Amino acid sequence: MLRVLVADDSRVMRQIVIRTLRQAGYDWDVREASDGVEALAAVRADEPDLVLSDWNMPNMTGIELLGAMRSEGYGTPFAFVTSEGSGEMREAAEQAGALFLIAKPFTAESFRDAIEPVLA
Amino acid sequence: MSATAVDQMYSIAEQVFSAMVDGDVGPLQPWIGEVPAIVDPIVGWVDTHGGWTGRAAMTTSRPVAYDLTRALLRMDAHEEVGMEDLVDAYGELVNVVGGNFKALLPASGTLGLPSVANCLPEVVWAVPMEGLDLAWRGHLIIVSIWMFG
Repeated sequence: MLRVLVADDSRVMRQIVIRTLRQAGYDWDVREASDGVEALAAVRADEPDLVLSDWNMPNMTGIELLGAMRSEGYGTPFAFVTSEGSGEMREAAEQAGALFLIAKPFTAESFRDAIEPVLA
Repeated sequence: MSATAVDQMYSIAEQVFSAMVDGDVGPLQPWIGEVPAIVDPIVGWVDTHGGWTGRAAMTTSRPVAYDLTRALLRMDAHEEVGMEDLVDAYGELVNVVGGNFKALLPASGTLGLPSVANCLPEVVWAVPMEGLDLAWRGHLIIVSIWMFG
């Protein structure tokens, strides 16, 4: 079973992301983190197979989390689930090494559209 | 107020509510008729800094905010909602509406974190830009965009 870490400072949004993963058919083992600092600690403690992270979080943003993971040698597949989906942000995400960016609001279908090509 | 901007705001609100709240586009409609004062209001807002500086806000009555939270969390109509979940859920709705509005702007900037309170904090240099009156399940929700001059 694929093990995913969901990082978002909103508990409600983490629940929605997890619910949408299930609706999309991904019955994965899910852990949660409430900001980038907590997510980085979770990666260090037990590296997941995938990180789904919000961009804008207190203490450490999603893009800072991705940078910190890469600088520490973690090549963990990483993707953003964020309220901003501008071209500028998608470009920044790609340059930092993210697999994809899902913009909120999302649906189970948009999750599948982003995740399926990566799993294949 | 430009019709195009209001149409874009309505389109964003419809997408956000249908995907996150209702699973359908039906329950959110434009408000028709005179707009009443909101009793026992709750307001959520998110600011953008750098590039375009301004604020997106959403105001409704507290009971409606509780209903929105229940809908977001797929709770039953009579389940109790804690204040922490109310602030989290309502703030996140505003955050997604604000983030999508910001994506339409030509100037880049940084979106802040959402806040929720009983009233919008006064910013003396804030200029109202756009406003959109919505009916969600028949209840008034006002979305407003402010520019910091």
